[in-house]
Amino acid sequence: MAGIGGADTTGKKVGWGLLNTVVVIYALIPVLWIVSLSFKSSKTLADGNFIPREWSLENYQNIFSTSEFTRALVNSIGIAIIATAIAVVFGTMAAYAIARLDFPGKNLLVGVSLLIAMFPQVSLVSPLFEIERSLGLFDTWPGLILPYITFALPLAIYTLSAFFREIPWELEKAAKMDGATPGQAFRRVIAPLAAPGVFTTAILVFIFCWNDFLFAISLTSTEQSRTVPVALSFFTGSSQFEDPAGSIAAAAVVITIPIILFVLFFQRRIVAGLTSGAVKG
Amino acid sequence: MAVLDSISTGKRSVADRPPPVPRKRYPKWATRAPLLPALIFLIIVTQLPFVATLVISFMKWNSLDPAGRGFAGIDNYVNVFTDPDLRSSVVNTIVLTASVVLISLLLGLGLALLLDKKFAGRGFVRTMLIAPFLVVPVASALIWKHVLYNPEYGLFNGVLNWLGFDAQPDWISTMPMTAVVASLVWQWTPFMMLILLAGLQSKPVEPVEAARIDGASPFQVFRYLTFPHLRQYLELGGLLGSIYIVQNFDAVFTITSGGLGTANLPYMIYQTFYQAHEYGEASAAGVIVVAGSIVIATFALRVVSSLFKEAK
Repeated sequence: MAGIGGADTTGKKVGWGLLNTVVVIYALIPVLWIVSLSFKSSKTLADGNFIPREWSLENYQNIFSTSEFTRALVNSIGIAIIATAIAVVFGTMAAYAIARLDFPGKNLLVGVSLLIAMFPQVSLVSPLFEIERSLGLFDTWPGLILPYITFALPLAIYTLSAFFREIPWELEKAAKMDGATPGQAFRRVIAPLAAPGVFTTAILVFIFCWNDFLFAISLTSTEQSRTVPVALSFFTGSSQFEDPAGSIAAAAVVITIPIILFVLFFQRRIVAGLTSGAVKG
Repeated sequence: MAVLDSISTGKRSVADRPPPVPRKRYPKWATRAPLLPALIFLIIVTQLPFVATLVISFMKWNSLDPAGRGFAGIDNYVNVFTDPDLRSSVVNTIVLTASVVLISLLLGLGLALLLDKKFAGRGFVRTMLIAPFLVVPVASALIWKHVLYNPEYGLFNGVLNWLGFDAQPDWISTMPMTAVVASLVWQWTPFMMLILLAGLQSKPVEPVEAARIDGASPFQVFRYLTFPHLRQYLELGGLLGSIYIVQNFDAVFTITSGGLGTANLPYMIYQTFYQAHEYGEASAAGVIVVAGSIVIATFALRVVSSLFKEAK
């Protein structure tokens, strides 16, 4: 179990193979079950068959035919992208300062931003509700973007400063030595090195905004700014006698796809980002 | 940097060496300027509302009774601590957090040890294992509720049926807390696995090999070498997990709607605020949550900074 690759007997190999299969099934069965349900027609929804008896796109047609879901999808994408862009720009500036410059109180600052990341969101919901209502931000895009940026920023600062610490800054000096202007040095030398970190951070921040439920349900009241997770929890099926499981399964597949795609394409970077942010500091 | 400068200037020939100028330092404000937008933002959006919460927590404020607004002293806090519902929600929060964190750490450790071994398709297995962590939390809670636990067409009863059992239990109403815990464990195990895997892979190989040559059994290697090395990663995973699961709202809201004795503190606050409209009491409970989180976070920071030091 100590994790050193030694000479394995065939029996051992089979054992590991079995163990792995069990583990993958444990992680995957619920996911596959959703996919299967989402393709079942309303008649066969409750038949308990793992593979749909008749494949149908009924559930997908249903969710895309109502503005309840499509509008929420637009809101989710818009809000998450805007919040991510702002948080990553501010976060990059702050992380650059933290990684690059020495100033008193630097560690305190990192500590404070970590504390804010750990700040219980639920205790901010009620005052934010009051404040946003009096400012007219309640149930608008900015009303959600603002709290998202706040909670995404510490995450961005933290992950980015871990990445920035690894950049060999002497290269910038070297470029300047060779006659590059500071702008050129940044654009040609530092930016390409920093890009992967910034990119990973952007994905993590996007996932964070995309997944949020508490703020989205507390600070919105209409379709105008409701995001997908909230819309999902309001799904009741087309009539009250119909169970929403089919629509929920279809919607869950639709909103999870972007994230799965991100991860499939950028797996290594995301894992590096998660662990470097969390472990290396 | 200063050293680097002097070395590089030293290399130049004397002829084109510029007259010695004092090294240009950034003015103080310039070094901090890039930090300002983030800092100002964080303070405005988190600290101002928090101050507001603090103030409201000492006020009598029910939005349905605007005339009765006034100073309440510590009444709200007294209410929070004496209200049996709120007290049980504190207990629920602790039970929920502790069980989810412990179980997912154990499972995560098992998976990490598994993935630390080289085998064909390791990358694929790892990707698949991360999947539960990536499903949107609300969607995952809904899935567990409607797709797995549902007594009629849920997967669990489907499997029971297939295995020949007649029992078709209604999982959520017979074991509500376990239902919530199970869905959260499924979701959080990959997170723990990632952290512990990073820990395992940063472990130096030589001591283990030395121990093996000296005749240590695999269990002894795990007990005396792997485990001590992993301890801080276990602590980190546990603390980060606690911080997020203490705050969990999605799963409780979706799976049980706080009923059947599963309401945790965040759900209770949400309900006090949005359904009972007791702003004062909700705020007091919020302040208590903040205090609790700060206690956990202080431990977390200590662990993180100890890791920081080791990395250097």
